[in-house]
Amino acid sequence: MKKYPLGEFEEVVLLTVGVLYDEAYGVLIKDELEKRLERTVSVGALQSALIRMEKKGYLESRFGEKTNERGGKRKRYFYITAYGKKALEHSRQVRNNLWNDIPGVAFDFQ
Amino acid sequence: MIKKAAERFFKWYCNPDYYEDIKGDLNELFHRKIIQQSPTKAEWYFAIQVLFLFRPSIIRPFHFWDLNFIAEMIKNYLTIGARNLRKHPMYTLLHVIGLAIGLAAFLFIHHYRIFEKSYDDFHYKPDQLYRLTTDDVLNGRIQVRDAMSFAPSGKALQDELPEILSYTTTAKPGRLIIRKDQETVQEENVVAADSNFLNLFRYEIISGDKENMLTEPYSIVLTESQARKYFGQADPVGQSLEVLGEFNRPFKVSGLIRDVPLNTHYHFDLLVSLQSFREQVERDAWSGYNYYTYLLIDQRADIDKLRAQMPALSRKYLGDVDRLEFNLQPVRDIHLYSDFTYEPQIHGSAKAINFLGIISVFILLIAWVNYINLSTARAVERAKEVALRKVVGAQKAQLIGQFLTESFLINFAGAAVALIFAMMATPYLNAMVGKPIFVNILEQTAFLKDLLIFFLIGSVITGVYPAILLSSFKPIGVLKGAFGRSKQGTILRKALVVIQFTVSLILIAGTLIVYLQIKYMTQKDLGINTDQVISFLNARGSESYDQYRTKYLSFEQELERIPGVKAVGGLSDPPGGGSSEISSSSGGVQVVGKTDIAKTTVYRNQMNDQVIDMLELDLISGRNFNRDFESDTSAVILNQSLLRTLGVSDPSTILNEYLQFGTNPNNSKYLIVGVINDYNRSSLKNTIEPTVFFHSEATRCTVAKLDNDNITANITAIQAVWSQFYPNAPFTYEFLDQRFAKLYMEDRKFGLIFLNFAILAILLASIGLFGLASYLSIQRTKEVGVRKILGATVNNIVLLFFRDFLWLISLAILIGIPLIYLGMKDWLNSYAFRIDFPWLWLVMAVMGILLLTFFTVSYQTWRLARLNPAETVRYE
Repeated sequence: MKKYPLGEFEEVVLLTVGVLYDEAYGVLIKDELEKRLERTVSVGALQSALIRMEKKGYLESRFGEKTNERGGKRKRYFYITAYGKKALEHSRQVRNNLWNDIPGVAFDFQ
Repeated sequence: MIKKAAERFFKWYCNPDYYEDIKGDLNELFHRKIIQQSPTKAEWYFAIQVLFLFRPSIIRPFHFWDLNFIAEMIKNYLTIGARNLRKHPMYTLLHVIGLAIGLAAFLFIHHYRIFEKSYDDFHYKPDQLYRLTTDDVLNGRIQVRDAMSFAPSGKALQDELPEILSYTTTAKPGRLIIRKDQETVQEENVVAADSNFLNLFRYEIISGDKENMLTEPYSIVLTESQARKYFGQADPVGQSLEVLGEFNRPFKVSGLIRDVPLNTHYHFDLLVSLQSFREQVERDAWSGYNYYTYLLIDQRADIDKLRAQMPALSRKYLGDVDRLEFNLQPVRDIHLYSDFTYEPQIHGSAKAINFLGIISVFILLIAWVNYINLSTARAVERAKEVALRKVVGAQKAQLIGQFLTESFLINFAGAAVALIFAMMATPYLNAMVGKPIFVNILEQTAFLKDLLIFFLIGSVITGVYPAILLSSFKPIGVLKGAFGRSKQGTILRKALVVIQFTVSLILIAGTLIVYLQIKYMTQKDLGINTDQVISFLNARGSESYDQYRTKYLSFEQELERIPGVKAVGGLSDPPGGGSSEISSSSGGVQVVGKTDIAKTTVYRNQMNDQVIDMLELDLISGRNFNRDFESDTSAVILNQSLLRTLGVSDPSTILNEYLQFGTNPNNSKYLIVGVINDYNRSSLKNTIEPTVFFHSEATRCTVAKLDNDNITANITAIQAVWSQFYPNAPFTYEFLDQRFAKLYMEDRKFGLIFLNFAILAILLASIGLFGLASYLSIQRTKEVGVRKILGATVNNIVLLFFRDFLWLISLAILIGIPLIYLGMKDWLNSYAFRIDFPWLWLVMAVMGILLLTFFTVSYQTWRLARLNPAETVRYE
């Protein structure tokens, strides 16, 4: 049993939600992700990651304002929870430890 | 367009918890795409995103999959359905009985057809098995096709053609007289075959060595039931049976096989080795084709190519002058498609089978149409129910479910009753088709499976249209009372009624025509008088002809002394025989010096000088035979048909000239002493055979004319004389008219089956019409009342209502008559002697349909019209 179950794509999404603090809703997250990852992201992939992470407790959400171009539909803004922060920290820790343990000679390319 | 569809799809599957914001995101992205790219690309982009959103985490939970909900719904359908059926017991009964009759009749015919088509499919390689047949070809046109072939032809063809893997030569030697202990039994159904027979035809062997059963001369193979007859339960192999007649020696029983299945064209009770007839086989060689040869052909072989080689091979073996050619016929086609001369047994007819198939489909369709008609006719009544259900919240799909359930219930009851009908009718049907095809319906899985399949198909076919029609009513209109009659429903109903009328008319007319033709055949003047004439086969053992003749003549004298016997004659082939029962020659015939050699089949009959007077034949020219004239042993009498073949128009010109067979000028010549009228020796399906009558004092058969009174006593007297002369031979006789009747057995059977199912179909159509008329008239109850108040008489009203149906009938008549004409003309053409197309009777059939409709419709209207208008106007 994983302590903090978090997939790679989920981790990137979670970090992006953090970057966009208080502005993080579907379309904006998608734009930011595409910019940083330098690839396209489908609405389906993004939304299912968000929904999964909300169910796991890493995210919470609130409804925001409507706009005309949204056809009168409200935005949903996402926020990282404390638990979500812990998951991110755990993930970062694991990676740092891994980096630290790579012997210098391994990257010593001629 | 694409976006609309994608939106609907998304709305349908998306979890409502997430719907709003995701839809908002999609809209925002869509707008951006329109600006950045183009509306079309934006729509595609939208659709693709929706497809990518179709993921488990986003799809809503479907409560549709809730089994409990469905179970409750079905329970409700069944309750309401059952209530509706109970509410109208008369209509329910009409439906159930109609569907049951339709299903049962359809399935019976269907399985009868399957049986008829299954002939000879049980052999080892049925599709590679061919019969070698012989065609008589004149100037490239086939004159006569014969089922038989020359005895050495199987071997010759196998040597010539590598595609022929194997062959068997067989014959039907006629009857064998067998003695077991003190009893003599005539075995009629005997096949003589060589040792390869059992390798090509699959008959289950119970005892004996399959390879060698038919190798030795004088060996006999018994079927199970025959073995039981002669030996009881004991194993007969190794025992022997005394065969009298020409053999007069014991035959060794070399094998025991199961009874031959019904579905083969080559049925037999006993098999004897062809070796037993070796002398005759060698004598016949390439001169007489009296054998049935079967070939096993390589499955890769091209049959048409093989056939193309036949003429050359025929010339090689039969000589250049002969007109006969070998041909190949698939064994599986023999039962239904062969109409060759010298068939080993009465065969079926593909035409009759297909005819029946059409009737059976008609019957089933009529039954289904009845249901559809009446259900849509009752739409008005159900309209209010539908409207109210919709108001309370029923969805269209649920209403369709309701109506489908009702049709399912009715069809189920119909299928159950059909099974009961089928079980009750089994013995009658077996008797009707003359073969025990249906034994125990409950054990015939194929029958039950088809019952299930057609019950399901029927439920859907009869349920779908009414269900869609009924569930599509708009509640507002119906509840406000503005609902009239549905136009679509009416047109469909009318079309269906026209179809029913057409089918009924075809069946009535068809039955009539079949009946008239059969009646014509049994009553036609055959050119002879067969009243009170019996015929029987004489007993001839291995004695010489002279010994036989001497004994026979004294036997004949004794017979003539019986007071009740008016005349005794001798004939080799008495009237009423099958086409294969008479011998023929096709080597050519001529009147020496008067005509050319006619290369055609000529039939040979022998008779003595009593026959012409006794059968009241008409001596057109010349004189009868006379046994006191020494020279009459080589005299012949011809029939008119032969004269036509020879091209002789005046009979007197050939009297006292000589008739000669073959092409050799040294062949024997026969003095022509007389010409008689044509009479039908065989079935009226065949033309009259060109026949030469030879004079013989002791022929194969005896015919005797009896006094009208005391026929049984006379026959007993004849039998007494017989046993005095031939104590070892069984005496079996037939009346000539019964022999003729037997020839038409298949036609009668066909007529009878046709009649029965036609009656069923007409009955079903009337049931439907009755239901429809009764319903439609109830619909117009108020109208009837108002019309009466305004002064219409009962007759006026009945005629008015009938007029609605009249133009439907007219349309049916217009469609039906050409169909009847084409179909029945074709059928009648298969008879050499046939009735003219009976237009008068066709008019009668039309009148019949009119009367039937008139009574059905007017009975219902009449009941209404007689009511007091005060009551009818209050209706509704």
